[in-house]
Amino acid sequence: MKGTLSIVGFGLSTIGPGTATGLIFAAYINGVARQPEARSILQPIAFLGFALAEALAIFGLVLAFVLK
Amino acid sequence: MATTDDGAFWTIIAYLISGLGFWGGMGYLADRYLKTNFLTVVGMGFGMVTALYLIWVKFIKETPPTK
Amino acid sequence: MAQPAFVPPSSSDFFFNPAFGSSFLATKPVMLVMFSVILIAAFFTVSARKAAVVPSRLQFAGEMVYGFVRNSIGKDVIGEEYQRFVPFLFAIFTFVLTNNLFGVVPFMQFPTMSHIGFPVSITIFVYLVYHYVAIKKKGLGRYLKEMCFMPGVPKAVYVILAPVEFLTYFAVRPLTLAMRLFGNMFAGHLLLLLFTLGGEYMLKSALFVKFFAILSFGMAIGLSFFEMGIQCLQAYIFTLLAALYIAGALADEH
Repeated sequence: MKGTLSIVGFGLSTIGPGTATGLIFAAYINGVARQPEARSILQPIAFLGFALAEALAIFGLVLAFVLK
Repeated sequence: MATTDDGAFWTIIAYLISGLGFWGGMGYLADRYLKTNFLTVVGMGFGMVTALYLIWVKFIKETPPTK
Repeated sequence: MAQPAFVPPSSSDFFFNPAFGSSFLATKPVMLVMFSVILIAAFFTVSARKAAVVPSRLQFAGEMVYGFVRNSIGKDVIGEEYQRFVPFLFAIFTFVLTNNLFGVVPFMQFPTMSHIGFPVSITIFVYLVYHYVAIKKKGLGRYLKEMCFMPGVPKAVYVILAPVEFLTYFAVRPLTLAMRLFGNMFAGHLLLLLFTLGGEYMLKSALFVKFFAILSFGMAIGLSFFEMGIQCLQAYIFTLLAALYIAGALADEH
């Protein structure tokens, strides 16, 4: 088999952000389900957390292509 | 609405990719031109900060309009 | 019993020789696309031909698909002017859905969208439509201005932000739209191939290994149903995002 180890590294690096995104949206959905009027307060917080978690995943994606 | 959430979700990813891609690419070109090797990483970090700032302005500072 | 080493499925499994002649028009993906067009046209013609107040089962099925696209994608997302875009969205949805579902239909078993060319060509249509709509409504200058310079930011920062915004709207959004559909279909088909080929290989091996072949085939069957869900979901997401981009093009930023 042939391939690049960077891609395996990218696969590993997505575990963390994937878990984080799942947890963030689980908490967000929970919160909105319990208190629908809190949506406008919770939404920016959920997006902030999502953006920060996803930033790491995209770093991994780009570094997998950049590093040789 | 769930649909606006979905849109924001993918737009955030698009911003992150393009921020990192644009300024990382600028850093890479600068590296090629100046014969250095650290500007790519600096550009990527800068691009990520830019993208996060953009997301902050667009989605977080003021609540997005709900349809 | 010597057996050659297992050859894992690779991207070369996605290329087919022409069924007849040497034109690329005779390869499996292109023929599937043509078949899907005939299938969609036939289904909706038949289901709408004998339209009655009390719908038959076929008419009900056709109307359900149409109603789904019109109400939950068109009306909810685009808003007032949704009626203009319903045919476009409906065509995209049915086309992508049918072609995706070919991935699990026996004897076809190939999602056409796992060739990058097909998602890209649909994306080009979406791209042209949402830019055309925006430019027609706002004019080119105002469109670019609203896109790149949003309010609430110090002036000096625009130099940094504007290229990122520009790149997002003109390159990254359509690119991710096409890549998401392609990637899901490609990976799903590769996964099914892996379990089926692996099961077949294990079936030919020693007696002890044959036991695991059952597991592998079971996994392939389970994943087929999983894939069916993914395929419907991806068709929905593709159409939804197309509608969202159109809605974004129509919306006033102020």
